[in-house]
Amino acid sequence: MGHVQRAIEMAGIATVGVYVRSFGHIAGLMGVARALITDHPMGRPLGAPRDTERQYEVVGAALDLLSCDAPTVTQFPLSYRTTGFNP
Amino acid sequence: MTEPANDQAPEADETIKQLRESFFYGSRSNLNFKFAKDLSDAEFAQFIGDLLNGLGTTIDDGDADRLVEVAHRWQVKAYRGHLADPAGFPHRHDDTPITALAKPLSESTVALVTSSGHFVEGDDPEPFGVPNMTQQQAEERIVDFLASAPQLSAIPVDTRAENLRVRHGGYPVAAVATDHQVALPLGHLRSLESRGVIGELSPIAYSFVGATSQVRLTKHIAPKWAEQLVADGVDAVLAVPV
Repeated sequence: MGHVQRAIEMAGIATVGVYVRSFGHIAGLMGVARALITDHPMGRPLGAPRDTERQYEVVGAALDLLSCDAPTVTQFPLSYRTTGFNP
Repeated sequence: MTEPANDQAPEADETIKQLRESFFYGSRSNLNFKFAKDLSDAEFAQFIGDLLNGLGTTIDDGDADRLVEVAHRWQVKAYRGHLADPAGFPHRHDDTPITALAKPLSESTVALVTSSGHFVEGDDPEPFGVPNMTQQQAEERIVDFLASAPQLSAIPVDTRAENLRVRHGGYPVAAVATDHQVALPLGHLRSLESRGVIGELSPIAYSFVGATSQVRLTKHIAPKWAEQLVADGVDAVLAVPV
């Protein structure tokens, strides 16, 4: 996805990517413009299934980064959870 | 208690290395744990020890989150370990192209692009000409995927969840198949649009299988996809790798 994100950015469209922690360092190495790193396992980038609250928060936090005019890699502050939410 | 489905006798002379590698598209293929291939034998032993110690406590208190934490911690350790050396990372770039958002987000058209492997029922990209390819078949052909050009699936953002399909041989798709918004947050983006956080959700989202020929993707495919997004009138993209 990093290649695609770079190509879109080079075409004149602002991008932000949500990367899980296992691949967060790759976002930096690939030179993507904006990355939000979630502390989530591979395959659950926005949150656990049916954790709609977390998914929505992550999407909102990622979109907030679009206003950054300089490259940024930001850590989403909350850890993955499988319980404690209302599915 | 349910009897185990696989009652085959274990290999008598299986080594720790063979055991580790069996999770990576082998006899015990499990994409959640394919990272075991990249651990040393000693690290794998520590991982199993951590997991069983955690399980011992979970038997008493029922808190399975600690097991998730152990699995995730070792997953991170494995991937950051074997991919962390910048000199050995083949897709490294020393520049960072960046485009400033031309207008406020509340006035911008936002598109979703994900490498999740989603498509709409009735619009199956049929990799390698195989109709109705299963997830298991996709995993068995991961080498073919990694050598081939990716296909882009257009997904109208008003597609009903029951009409979405996902198939990807490179990551555990169960969570996404259970709840598509784990990687394809169409409902959340529609909600953000209705609340005025984003100006407009671009009517077409895009998905592809990220396990693909990275050379073809970089040199030929990605620039064309970017042109398509420009043609769509998109101001900003939310990218969701998996």
